Amino acid sequence: MNDLPFHLLLFAFTGTVIVTISSFFSEADDQAALRALPRRVLVFLGGCGLIAVVMLILEHTVASVH
Amino acid sequence: MKAQEKTNTGAVPGVAVLLTWILPGAGHVYLGRIGFALGALLVVEGLYVLGLLLTQGMFLEYLPPEMRGRMAGMLTPEFGNLGALLYHIQEFGYGPGYKEGLGYPRAWPATMDLGTNLTAMSGVLNLLLMSHAHREARQAANDVASKSGVRAHGAPWAALASWALPGLGQFLQGRRLRGVITFVLLVSLFMIGCVLAEGSNLDRERHFYYWSGQFLLGAPAALAEFLHGHAPVTGDVPYADGGVVLGCIAGMLNILSMLDAYGAAAVSRSSTATSSAADGIGASA
Repeated sequence: MNDLPFHLLLFAFTGTVIVTISSFFSEADDQAALRALPRRVLVFLGGCGLIAVVMLILEHTVASVH
Repeated sequence: MKAQEKTNTGAVPGVAVLLTWILPGAGHVYLGRIGFALGALLVVEGLYVLGLLLTQGMFLEYLPPEMRGRMAGMLTPEFGNLGALLYHIQEFGYGPGYKEGLGYPRAWPATMDLGTNLTAMSGVLNLLLMSHAHREARQAANDVASKSGVRAHGAPWAALASWALPGLGQFLQGRRLRGVITFVLLVSLFMIGCVLAEGSNLDRERHFYYWSGQFLLGAPAALAEFLHGHAPVTGDVPYADGGVVLGCIAGMLNILSMLDAYGAAAVSRSSTATSSAADGIGASA
């Protein structure tokens, strides 16, 4: 876990690229696509965070191997 | 319009696509565009044949034995040129003696990497050719566009430009901000992947399917592979997996960029055609 900040930074950048390209794909107007970016990024990162939490809970409960 | 609906000229878009998939240019022959069809056949099939010669038909032998199967070629860019891939599988398969367990491994020819780039390029170009045939067939069905004389085949060219260089299609359409942002983001992601994997991602033999995704980034991926070469990995690469995934994601995201360029060109052409027809109606009234 020593490189956790590095992993998080990579994830944030990759997520931003995914969301930006998706936003351009779904919005024909550049300005509208850029305006929608902050909310889209938050939804994406929030969604991924939620999935991570669920996975961690599962890892420590039903999927826990000791 | 439904895909299977016949056009005014009797051409069915789905048939044009299917014919092109099996033999590049066949769909355009079906649409009566013989000259274009011959040119397309020469370029797309020529690339595959050249690639086949340079690789001696060995590209599927990149797959380790446990990954070989009837459907293994379906997730490669070559699948875009179905006829050539089927011929390839039938003629070369996994090499002589594979079924008897004698055919693995063999030494690759010196031109193997260039050859696999060419066969992959042939598959991607044929996919774009299929979309071109579909647009042409639909164009014939559209009275408004036909009467206005506006051709709709700019869309596949825009997608081709965005494949060749991410964002180029958008840039050429005048959507420069979008084109520049797309280029910077996708190429940055790809380069970060290359740095993390220390270039080990730039090798089809090592990462057969991830390489296919990465190939969709076009020139940056091909150029990086050419410049880096295919040196063997001699030490531990801590972030190799992450780098391979990021490179592949960059290539896959470029599909969205290609579709965006395609869609914008198609809408733009339709609008032009509609307004031209409306002008014509107004003038005649």
